[in-house]
Order: sequence, then structure tokens, then C-alpha cells
Amino acid sequence: MSDETLPQAPETPAGPYVYDYAASPQRQIVLPKTVPVPSLRTYQAEVAAAAAADEAKWQKQLADFEVAKAKAEAEGKDAPKPPVRAVPRKDDNDMKTPWPQEAKDADLLRLQEVLGAKVEEIFEQAGELTCQVAKESILEALRLCRQDAALNYEMLADQSATHYPAAKDFAFSVVYHLTSISRRKRLRLRILVPEGFQPESACAVYPSANWMEREIYDMLGIRFANHPDMTRILCPEDWEGHPLRKDYPVVGWGQRDISFREDRGGMLERIALQKAGQLGINLKQPKAE
Amino acid sequence: MFKNEEMEINLGPQHPSTHGVLRVKLRLDGETITHCRPMIGYLHRGVEKICENQSFFQGQVWTDRMDYCSAVANNLGWAEANEKLFGITVPRRAQYIRTMLNEFNRLASHLIWLATHALDIGAMTVFLYAFREREDILDMNEAFCGSRLTTTAFRIGGLREDLPPGFEKMVQKFLAKFETCLEEYENLLSENRIWKKRTVGVAKLSAEDAIGLGVTGPVLRAAGVPYDIRKAFPYAAYAEMDFEVPTRTEADTYARYLVRMAEMRQSARIIQQCMDGMPEGPVMAKLPKILKAEVNEVYHATEAPKGEIGYYLVGEKGSGNPYRFHVRAPGFINLQALPKMAEGALIADIVAAIGTLDIVLGEIDR
Repeated sequence: MSDETLPQAPETPAGPYVYDYAASPQRQIVLPKTVPVPSLRTYQAEVAAAAAADEAKWQKQLADFEVAKAKAEAEGKDAPKPPVRAVPRKDDNDMKTPWPQEAKDADLLRLQEVLGAKVEEIFEQAGELTCQVAKESILEALRLCRQDAALNYEMLADQSATHYPAAKDFAFSVVYHLTSISRRKRLRLRILVPEGFQPESACAVYPSANWMEREIYDMLGIRFANHPDMTRILCPEDWEGHPLRKDYPVVGWGQRDISFREDRGGMLERIALQKAGQLGINLKQPKAE
Repeated sequence: MFKNEEMEINLGPQHPSTHGVLRVKLRLDGETITHCRPMIGYLHRGVEKICENQSFFQGQVWTDRMDYCSAVANNLGWAEANEKLFGITVPRRAQYIRTMLNEFNRLASHLIWLATHALDIGAMTVFLYAFREREDILDMNEAFCGSRLTTTAFRIGGLREDLPPGFEKMVQKFLAKFETCLEEYENLLSENRIWKKRTVGVAKLSAEDAIGLGVTGPVLRAAGVPYDIRKAFPYAAYAEMDFEVPTRTEADTYARYLVRMAEMRQSARIIQQCMDGMPEGPVMAKLPKILKAEVNEVYHATEAPKGEIGYYLVGEKGSGNPYRFHVRAPGFINLQALPKMAEGALIADIVAAIGTLDIVLGEIDR
């Protein structure tokens, strides 16, 4: 029997399979490219641009058809088919996307009337009222909503913020969801703030803002001016970074960057040696010759 | 002679009466609390961050795990917030089933509140009684969606499946005995001298303070404010239901107990109405396979057993996952009122105050 007929032993693998933690998708930071701040003005501009593009396409189709027709006539061939304008396809489902609409609600008009130029935008979408005010005058707007007899929003139900790294002139939007218990109405106030700007704290008007603003500071790093207790609330005091920013990976920074499965023994050894070194003990075994 | 100084102690984070891992820093003058500071975050898992990196559908399993005692109520708020974001109309039958399951969940959550709150204050028997009835509700959860606690009950646009055969019989059997069960609990507690001594006038929170601090749910209603989102901003099938919003004006722990007991009776009424008026038809809306959002932001609040649970979602054009997913957890906001309720009281009363707020740390820390 020759050697060639014997089955060849498989090559020994180079080592145990090691998961590449650094390349795992949860560690990658994919920054968003768009700035999804709902706004009537942006929506109207988009609709107008889309309509213009559609019209230009149609005109080009017509012009192409004329050219092709003239060419076919000159060559004595059959005339080409005239173009058909594409109709947007109608989906047969129970979805009706809520688009931003002109503000008709009395509360929004009242806010605009009183605050004047400090109101940047008002609109309605999905049955919700949104009022965007200048970032410096948020406290004034909140006070108006709380104290004005026609508005009378008694409760700050929720306060939250969103990070928009792709935006140029701001970095965060902070939203205040107000509820009027007596009038059964909800209103959203919104400000757009750049990095480092400290909006006025709402605690003076609505005490419930206390923890919500602490949470925003903890999660997104927006500090609020005149807040009674601007400390972290969910993360430990010495936590690095602000987890809900878009440039923060899902798994986080910190001790998790050590790939435990790969280097558990090595890490424990390093820690032991460090501790021993502090205590002046030599743990290292002399190497056998 | 006697030293007169304040003592600082930690209640929790490993303390049975803090319902999880809540730590409360207390400063005491004798037995009186002079300063109280709740410290939270021990259960922080980053639910919002995780949900922002998953598709719209996948967020639901995380809402189960926020307030694990009222998973169905969290699912309902989540599903309706998404439906608002996309503009989906849910079939009427699905709305009715959702309403019914949500009320069952309210019963389960209130029962577990009653059990643990009474246990904290020293009434052992109610604990066993309440868990007995809660078991039946969990069995119904299991019959409907195969899971008892973390239900993942709904889908965006309706339900995954219709009610299982024999479900109606289970419901009727439960409702037939539930009224007597409630009377049993009330016989044990309502006129119990020890219970009244531990609850009447304890942990008061006036209506003005409660509204200012954003407190919602039974705690607010026990202060005399008839604010119930099921009535104020009706969702699901609540607009068609006939029920009352029980309120009290005493604003103490005993009033909150009475409000929650009355609420359980109303929930049973709603369940009966759902079963009687259950419409026929599909349980799922017609939807595309993949949901792609448009630029939109919604805040949708529903009445969870603990209070107002709100979901704030921001959609990005053409994206399959939410750009921002924020939860307004009722426990988080309600816990803010703890210093107001506890300062000036005796240290034993803080246990009653924590119990009456009905907090679940999984939701507070998210």
C-alpha cells in the first residue's frame, strides 16, 4: 500500500476559534446621516422639491418623445408610443402616514400670539401639537403654558431629548410634553440646542422636571442651568460618556472593552501581579532552564 | 449627657421592602426622617439604547421587561405609540381584546401590589389570597399568548392570533368568583385596626404637590384629581366602555388602598363589557411586511396600573428602527414624590410610602 492511498490527516488548526470582539456589530458606531426633526417647513420644502423633480422628469419624457417621434417620421418608421405619466402606486393597507399640517389649534395660535418671534414653528402631526420656541426663551414659554388661564397646562408629563449628530447648527432637541388635566389637552414644546448650551431648567415652573432633567444630563450630556441638583441619576457618578448619544456604541465603553473570553487568564494574572507588586511580593516563578 | 445628632442610614439596595434594588438615603433625628434621597439606577440596562438599535417590532420584548408586573399594559402603550407613528388603524375586535387583556393585567398588577404592600406592613394572609387570584390571570395570559409574565401580547397593527377556544369560559369563571375574593381581602383589611393605624394619615401627598411632581395613577386619584387617561384621552376601546374613575380626597395610604380596590371592581366591569360586546372580524390590520418610518415624532400615553406610561418615538425617513425611543415610566416620576411623602414622618412609615407608590425598579431604571 502506497502512502498516497492513505487518508491524509487534517491539518491542525492554528488555534482555538476566537470571536473578534472589536469587529462585532454591537461595537460599531454608525452615525446617522439624516436629521429627522419633524417640521412643517421641511416637509413642505420636500414636497415642493419632489413635485418639481416629478414635473421635470415628465417634461423630459415629453421632449424625448417629441424627438423620437420626429426621428421616426423622418425615417418613415412607426411612431413610438406616447409616454404615460406615472401615477403614484396606491397601497392596499390600513396605513395612512400622518404628515405635518398647518396649525389650527387655538393653543398653538395663542402661544404664537403671546410669544411672537420667539416661536420658531408651530404645526400639528398625528393629532399632536408641536410648538418650537427659541432655546433662550423656553422658561418663558413654560411659564406661559402653566400660568396663562387660556392654556393652563398643569403637568409636565415628560421631558426628553434626542441627539442629532448630522445637524449643523444644533446637536440636540429637547422636548417637553405638557398635559392639561382640566382641559384634556396635550402640547409639545421643543427647543433645538447646540453642544455646550445650557437651557434653563424647568424645575422652577414644574418640579417634576427635576429627575427628568437629571436623566437627560446623564443620558445625553445636556446640562440645565439653575437646576437644583445636576448630577447623574441612572449611571454611576464616575461613568464615562453619555450612553444615548449616537456616537456611543450599544455595548458601551469601559471594562467591557476587555474581551473576557479571549484574555481572562491574562487579565487575572495582570491584576494579581499588580496587587502583589503593590504589596511587595514577588509572584513570578523563575523560568525553568 | 445625651448626644443630639442626626444619623444617616441607607435603606436598601438589598432590603425586602424596597421592592427591588432601590436605595434610599435617610437622615434621621431619632425616629423621624429629616432628609430622604432615593438613589436609583442599580437595574439600569439601557432599554432605550437597545430599542433604538433594533427594528420597530423588536422593541416589544423590552417593554415586557420594564415593568414585569404589568407587561400587557406596557405592550399596549408600545403598540399604540407605533401605530400612531405609522398611522395604522387597528381592527375593532383587536381593540376589544387588547382592552380586556389590559384590564386583566391591571387586576394582576393591583393584586401583586396589595399582596406585597400588605406584607410590608405586616399582614401576611392577604399575600397568599391575592397570589391565588393572580395565578388565574397568569393562566389566562398563558392561554392567550403562551407566556405568563413577559407576555409580548400584541403586534403593531393588532394581535398575532385571535382568542383561544374556551377563553370566554375561563373569563366567566374568573369574574364569577372575583367579587367574593375582593370582599375577602376587604374583610381582612378595611376595618383592620392594625392596617388602619399603619395607613390612615400616612404618607400624605396633596393634589397640588402630586400634579407639580407629575405623579399619576391611583396616587393622584387618591388626592381627589379624577385624572384617568382612559377617560381623559381614550385609547383602545375605552371610549365605548362604561366605567367610573374612583377618587378619594384624603390623599393618604389608606385612600390609595381604597382607590385601588375600587379600581379592581371597575376593571372587572370593563372585562365583562368587553366579553359581552366583543365584535367579530379580523384581529390584524393589513400592513406591509417591512415598516419604514417617515420623519415624525409621537408621544403616546396610556394608563398603566401604576400611572401614565408614555412612549416617545422619533421616526427617521426610510429607517426600520426608531431614531429615538424614550419611555416615560410612571414609577420613575412617581418615586420623585417619595421625599415629599416621607420627610417628617417616622422611619417605619417610609415602608408604607414605598409600598403605596407601587414601584417596580425594572421600569424606573430601565
